[in-house]
Amino acid sequence: MYRILLLSVCPVRNRALHVYIREACLRSSKCDIVSLPICRATNGGVFNAFGTSSVIHCEKKEGPLPPKEENSALKDGEQKVAVKMVGEKVIELQDYVKMVAEQSEQRVGVKMEGVTESVKIEEIPVKMDSEKMEEIQTKTALLPIPEVKLEDVKESEEMKEIMLASKTEEVKQKLEVTMAVVKEGETIVEIQVKTEEVVDVKKEGDKVVEEQMLEVNKEEQQTEAPPKDEIQPVKSGKESLLDLLGAMKVEVTNKRKFKALKVQRTSETAARPMPAAMESTTSMFQEATGMADVPAPAPSETLSPELVAAVSAAAATLPSQSQAESELLKKLRQHEAIGEAQKNGDVNNIGQVVIIADMKVGKKPNGRQNARPANQIRFDEDGRGYTHDRGITAELDGGLRRRRSLFSGKRLNIFTPSTEPEADTDIAVPTLWDMELANQVALSTNQMPRNGFEEMIQWTKEGRLWQYPINNEAGLEAEAQVPFHEHVFLEKHLEEGFPRQGPVRHFMELVVSGLAKNPYYTIQQKREHIAWFRDYFQQKEEVLKEAEVYLN
Amino acid sequence: MHNHHFQDPTAPHYMFQDDPYLTPRTSAEFKLYSLSQESGRMAANHIVNKNPKFFQKDFAEPHIPCLMPETMELCIEEVSEAALLERIMLRKVKAAVDMYDQLLQAGTTVSPDASNDLLDLICLYGDRDPVQDDKPEAEDVAQEVQEEGRRRKGRLRRASDLVRIVWRENNNAERIFNLLPERDTRAYSALIRGMVKYGAHVKAFNTYTDMLNNRLTADVHTFNALISAAPEVRERYTEKWDLIVDLLNQMNEQKVKPNLLTFNALLKALRRCGSLARAQSLHTLSEMKAMGIAPSLASFDHVLGIFYKAASPSQGQTDILQEVMTEVAGRTFVAQDPDDVNFFSSAMRICLDTKDIEAAYKVHDLLRVGENWRMLGDSFQQSIYYGRMFNLLCMMEHIDVVLKWYKELIPSLYYPNPQGMRDLLQALDTDNRLDMIPQIWKDIRRMGHDNKSDLVDELLSLMARDKHSPEIQESFAVCALDVKSLYEQGQGARMALEWTATAMTNITSVLLAAQKKQQAWDMLKLFKTKNRVPSEELMEEFLASIKSSNDPQHAMELVQISASFCLPSTPKLAERVLQAFELSEEQKTILSELEVSTEVSE
Repeated sequence: MYRILLLSVCPVRNRALHVYIREACLRSSKCDIVSLPICRATNGGVFNAFGTSSVIHCEKKEGPLPPKEENSALKDGEQKVAVKMVGEKVIELQDYVKMVAEQSEQRVGVKMEGVTESVKIEEIPVKMDSEKMEEIQTKTALLPIPEVKLEDVKESEEMKEIMLASKTEEVKQKLEVTMAVVKEGETIVEIQVKTEEVVDVKKEGDKVVEEQMLEVNKEEQQTEAPPKDEIQPVKSGKESLLDLLGAMKVEVTNKRKFKALKVQRTSETAARPMPAAMESTTSMFQEATGMADVPAPAPSETLSPELVAAVSAAAATLPSQSQAESELLKKLRQHEAIGEAQKNGDVNNIGQVVIIADMKVGKKPNGRQNARPANQIRFDEDGRGYTHDRGITAELDGGLRRRRSLFSGKRLNIFTPSTEPEADTDIAVPTLWDMELANQVALSTNQMPRNGFEEMIQWTKEGRLWQYPINNEAGLEAEAQVPFHEHVFLEKHLEEGFPRQGPVRHFMELVVSGLAKNPYYTIQQKREHIAWFRDYFQQKEEVLKEAEVYLN
Repeated sequence: MHNHHFQDPTAPHYMFQDDPYLTPRTSAEFKLYSLSQESGRMAANHIVNKNPKFFQKDFAEPHIPCLMPETMELCIEEVSEAALLERIMLRKVKAAVDMYDQLLQAGTTVSPDASNDLLDLICLYGDRDPVQDDKPEAEDVAQEVQEEGRRRKGRLRRASDLVRIVWRENNNAERIFNLLPERDTRAYSALIRGMVKYGAHVKAFNTYTDMLNNRLTADVHTFNALISAAPEVRERYTEKWDLIVDLLNQMNEQKVKPNLLTFNALLKALRRCGSLARAQSLHTLSEMKAMGIAPSLASFDHVLGIFYKAASPSQGQTDILQEVMTEVAGRTFVAQDPDDVNFFSSAMRICLDTKDIEAAYKVHDLLRVGENWRMLGDSFQQSIYYGRMFNLLCMMEHIDVVLKWYKELIPSLYYPNPQGMRDLLQALDTDNRLDMIPQIWKDIRRMGHDNKSDLVDELLSLMARDKHSPEIQESFAVCALDVKSLYEQGQGARMALEWTATAMTNITSVLLAAQKKQQAWDMLKLFKTKNRVPSEELMEEFLASIKSSNDPQHAMELVQISASFCLPSTPKLAERVLQAFELSEEQKTILSELEVSTEVSE
């Protein structure tokens, strides 16, 4: 997490990243000496918090580093361990700055050993470095070699990628670390103003360190940059910020103190004006975002890489340091919100909190910052910002996360959806209102048919055309329920009201026979037909009886 | 087969007669022809319904009800409940009220259903007979409409829609409601809905309170009406929202299940709740989802309306449109709300406002899905939709793409207005495809925009501005002559264009550039007859052209014309002619005289 912090603060100067690269690649340059312990300390801090596993993770993270000539050595676990051991030694000897220098000397030796032992290739870049250094020395050139710079820029980007991976891992595992950093980050601005004296002291101490380091490793230093710059006590605001960060840590643990010094150093190297690096910031921004799109090589991609890319890129693109700082703070404040709940879990963090409280650091009462902390960053990200509620959900859906989904927000919570089937209360006849509404809706969407087919569809709906499939009983829906025997066997209707035998009966049988074959009459009509004859013959009963044809 | 994708962009709409003469070419013709078919149908229906006795023969087997005359006249004369029901069915408000009064006077009790139906009818039509075109009684209403329309001049569209029949104090609905022996939910519901519909919002809420006091529960329609009326009865945004929430809570307490129209009314009301609306509209959508009610296009339309206020510039809220589009993409919608048809045109407006061509394509893709084209609304809304889309295309897209859409949309779907054509010309200009102008000019003529002088002027100035290859100049010249003939023919059926100096200058210079000397010369003479003054640049162009053909006679004439216009550049012109051409002595003296005389006159 410290890496994030540093990453976010420093990208203005690629040097800083460069330093990290050097560290990661185990290059035996002066910068390595400076930066390596930071990382180690970082890792140390991490495994102080949650055991060695995270270190292993970190190493794993660093494993998939792009196979550059130097970093092939990285994969060598043994070397790692060795270096770490050294780092721990260094940590133990934290109290005296000179001791640090010596230790770093030692470590260089060890590292060189490790390098030579593990990979032969490792020696080549070292040699190259020394060659370059020699050149520079002979020329007494104060300007950095452009080639180196270009390399640095590239490397820094790679480095950043690695940082992303390892950082995400860490963040996922322990949020309290994040929180701790947040705490520190918050206080930075205030401290910066108040404790400049401390910074000066730091500077002095740092200078001593530097000088000694210079003596030890002049060559390496020169490969990196002109020594004059190194010695010059040009301290930027950012540097002091990091100083303060370090100062706080000094009081937390010894390791941190050591690291703080290292931070100072790194920031010093970072503070060197690098025109080329500055120029490359825009491209770096682009590439950083581009990288963010590509999933990091880490197996577990926890925090959105967009975040890191955005922060580093945003800080890099901003011209002034103070802005970069404030932006960082904003970002960290978001972390704080998450880590708040877990704040009390970690002993280390409690210690920090206590110390911070002792320092009487208050939040900067800047309403604007609090109002929309993500605004600035969002702007830099071309409007595609990130959510404030970075949590489990954010971790789950990775890059596809949307800022706001139409349906995912909370609801009004007024109605309770009933699972029970809807009671059919609307069986009642539709009221005029319903008809009117239906009419309105129909009118609003009433489009003229666009071709003959649609017109025919419309006509079919209106009933002007045959329904398909063609059915010769169309329009006889009323008869569909009547079985055929009702139509055919009509004799049962003669049972009542007609004579049993005789001419009338005979006549009626003919009528029934005719009706049975009539496909056009409905059953009702047939009955009515028969009923008419029944009435008729009953009216004429007297006459028929006289003629003796009505036999009952 | 009737799918949108197979539509032939070159063919006129199916509704028009299959006769090239009757194919509409302008928006005015479109309106006329499409309405004429519809009005013909209406007239036939009217005749049939007016004289049902002549149309009783039922030819069809099976019977086709829609071909038979509808009974529009009252058949039952005596005072009875059946007569009342018949009047209700035929939507004769006044007759029904009269019948009801007669029934009461006669001491007959009317069944609750019938009286509720009557109340529905009165409330639905605001105690007025619905306006029917074929009824002479509608005249007095129409007159009022006209008066109101006069007051609201400036809004041409559907003046009759804007006219609100107001809920009058103690109208028949309230009177009959008070006469009812027992007032149930349905009666209250009808009354409240009528009040809301005709603008008596406060009264509606009072009625609702009255209803609650009578220990009745409202139905969902009542709540829908009240929610839509809520913004009217409160001033401040928070108060409006509180009232709405209150109503919703009461709904829940009364175990009334909300429906789609409830939420649409809610979202519509939220459009008038200012800053509150954004968050609450999203909550409402979530609530809809929780309730298992799929939002209709109207819901999305309201959400978009909330997030993209017409007045305020969009503040990075394009996300909402994108999210709505991803939500609705590929879905087929069925109209459920009369407001559904507003979605497409307003979505396109947002695309235009935010200059978001990608979103516009998404909106248009949605339109092509299934039967969604039916949701585009009437021809007016369609022309708005396509007009916005075309405007956006002209603004954002490469000219080739614009022309592709131009071919697809025009004239089968969209008749652009002069502004649309100017957009197209500007798009041509931006992408250096001015060679298309003659073709576009043909379309402009066909669409009847050739009498819009600013459009014609712009076209001419674009043609005259730059130099092009000879072929293009040739086609430009043809086009310019066409424009000229348009100016000349005039005076006939349509308002003729008035010659302007710039138009004449532009035409002349186009002709000159195309080496059409004779026509250009004619144009120059036309300046004189129309009392317009050519510009000096034009005279320079003329001189250059004459010089290339080395014609001293014309050069002389040119100088003389210039002198007759009293152009200040005449002496310079004369001087140059003297130098450049081999002139006779006589001509030389004339020229030098001109040179001197104008100088003197100055």
